[in-house]
Formats: sequence, C-alpha cells, structure tokens
Amino acid sequence: MRIAHHGISADVPPGWEARIYRRTDDEPGATTAPVLHAATFALPEERGDFGGGAVELMGPGDAFVALVGYDAAVAGTPLFARQGLPRRPRSSSFARNKLQHVIPGQGGSQFFFTAAGRGWCLYVVLGSYDDRDALLARVYAVLVTIVLDGDSVVVPEVPDVLR
Amino acid sequence: MTALIVVEAVAIGLLGLLVAGLLRSHAEILRRLHELGAGVGTGEEAAPPRFRVAAGVPAPGGTPAPDAADIAGVTPFDEAVAVRVAGAEQHTLLAFLSSGCTTCAGFWRAFADGPALPPATRLVVVTKGPDQESESALRRLTPAGVPVVMSSAAWDDYGVPGSPYVVYVDGPSGRVAGEGAATSWPQVASLLSQAVADSGGQDRRGGGRGGRGRRQRGRPEAGLGDAAREARADRELRAAGIHPGHPSLYPEAGGDAEGAA
Repeated sequence: MRIAHHGISADVPPGWEARIYRRTDDEPGATTAPVLHAATFALPEERGDFGGGAVELMGPGDAFVALVGYDAAVAGTPLFARQGLPRRPRSSSFARNKLQHVIPGQGGSQFFFTAAGRGWCLYVVLGSYDDRDALLARVYAVLVTIVLDGDSVVVPEVPDVLR
Repeated sequence: MTALIVVEAVAIGLLGLLVAGLLRSHAEILRRLHELGAGVGTGEEAAPPRFRVAAGVPAPGGTPAPDAADIAGVTPFDEAVAVRVAGAEQHTLLAFLSSGCTTCAGFWRAFADGPALPPATRLVVVTKGPDQESESALRRLTPAGVPVVMSSAAWDDYGVPGSPYVVYVDGPSGRVAGEGAATSWPQVASLLSQAVADSGGQDRRGGGRGGRGRRQRGRPEAGLGDAAREARADRELRAAGIHPGHPSLYPEAGGDAEGAA
C-alpha cells in the first residue's frame, strides 16, 4: 500500500500500517510540520508525535517508526547537520535508555537530520531490544520506501528478504 | 462345418462384448476410486469427492472465503492512512457506512457509545472517498478512538453493495470470516457474539472496544464459528466411519448412495 500526504510518501510493506498527518496550528505551540507513523501493530487513534499511547501496546515482535518534521528554520543547524533520512540505522545506535517512554524490554533510538528543506527526527522503537537485529530488518523495509518531497536521496531497491 | 464356424464366431463375438463390458466397468470403478482419493501411482492430487445433499436440503455455497485486503485512504481529519487487516494479529470488524444514510445513523451512535466487540477485535469504519463523502459531516460523526477511513477502493475490494454493511475479517488467516448487511448495531453484535460463542471463544464484552484497548493475543480461531464447527464435524464423522456418500447420510434414498464405499 502506498500512501502520500503532506510531502511524505511511503510504500507500506505487508505487516505494517501507517499514518501521515500534520499537526494543526490551533494547538498552542504545536508544529505544523508533517508526521509519519508506521507500526507493525494496530495504531491507536490517540497518539503522541513520538508514539506516546502507541508504544505501550507493542509486543516484543513489534516495531514503531515516527518521522517527525520540524520547522525549516532549524534545517542545517548543528543538531540537524546530517543530510538525508538514515535508511539503515545501525543496531549499535539503539539502547534501552534512548526511549521517550522507557518500557522494560524495549529499545530505541532517534536520528536528527535535514531533508526537503526542513529539519526532521526519525524515532524508532523496537519491541525487544534483545531482538534488535531482526526487528531492524523489518524497519529497513519501511525506511527505504520513504520519500520526502524535495529529498534528493536515491531510494535503494528493497532486498527480497525484507519484502 | 460351416455351422460350427458360425457358432464359434458368434461365441467369440459375445465373449468380446463381455470382455469390453468388464473393461468398461473396471474403468468406471477405477475412476470412482480415483475421485475418492484412492488413486495409486498417479502422482497427482485426487480431486475432491463430488458433494451432494439430500433432496430438499439447500446446497451450500461453493465460494470459499475470500481474501481480505488491507485498506488505504484518508481520514476526515486530513490524514493519509494505511490500515493492516490481512495477517494482523487481531481480527477486524469493517463497518462500511456513509454520513447520509438513515440506517447508518444508529451505527454511528452505537460506535460513539463504545460498542461491545468480540475479543481481540478492532473496529474500523470505512466510508466512500472524499469525492463521494462529506468530510465535515464525517468529522462530526467520527467516534472517539475509532479509525474512520475514506476509501472508495476498499468498497470495491470488498464488493460492498451499499451501506450499512459489515465485514468480519479473521486477522491471522487474512480471510473474510463473515459479512452482510444489517439494519442495526445490536443485530450485528448479537450475531458476532453468537459466532464467537459457537466457536468456543469467550465473549469478554468490552475487551476490544473501539480498537483502543490493549490487543489480546491468541485464540486465532475466535470468530471462525462455521469453519471450526464444520472441521470438527468432519473429523468426528470420519472417526465414526462415515465418509462422503455413506448411506446413513441419505436416509430417503434408501442407502443407494452415489460413491458409496
């Protein structure tokens, strides 16, 4: 299933579901940048941008991906110095304490970067830190399909083993 | 001498006819045995036995449960959404509704009140796409915690004839377990509850409310009442030596059953 909205598009692999939305500006202090959520489990309707309300429902075999946009003003600043969406984050980047909501057994990591003229944060939560290599293989299958408008990153082919 | 030759020729001809008849009968027996799965050395899967029912009994539909399709569309709140249905751990109750139909109003109200769903079941409302629906009306109707997907393609995928229409998908198998039109939510809830009870599941009401609750894993057979019941009946009949075509299945036919072993 391919979904596209608000400048983000993705081919949602079998076994995943996804949402793309934009925070409305009637919420005080909220960003109007787009957000993508992808998960191997049923996403609840009420979720925080970084998965609050969703990650609590994860099983050990699940994964959650949040791609959160920031204002254009932060693009290229030191925190967002990296160029382009990291499509194959290393398992060594993940830790049990890199979670917005620390849940026993889970592992996660976040990556800040600049793409499509704005800053972004990629936040990945793995249902089981111990099985991070296997779960990351599933996450890669989503990340390699994401296209950000204006993003010049070449999308690599998805290996059959990840489909 | 001539008469003897004629008699001999006639006898040979009759014997030839007899042999041909025996061969034909033998071929017919082999064909029937093959249909019953007793073929030897063919290396091919035997065709299932011909199925027939007693006079006056409606024949079952020959259409197997269709595959379920995942759903992609937009929400009334300007979101793109892809909902996993096939292969999901939980079952999914798809409610095809519209914002304008009078009968649908009862469903919208029931969903807003928090419908009781079978265990491990997620409710997803599917409407026609934005070109055929009112997003503002749907924003007012959308129940808290229930995903509403606007997707005309989903209506086509599931062959929905009109609204309201409900489809119950068995997540692990990715098959449509049941579907149909209904006039009220209590009617649907009753049928679902009955189906789950028949399949041996426990109707823990509220366990799958609105898709917001924690997923309940396990019991993949829940919601497959008919299939599970049919499989169990087949097993027990086979164990009792009653196979397709057994005379006891056709009492009015006096035991002259086709394919009787």
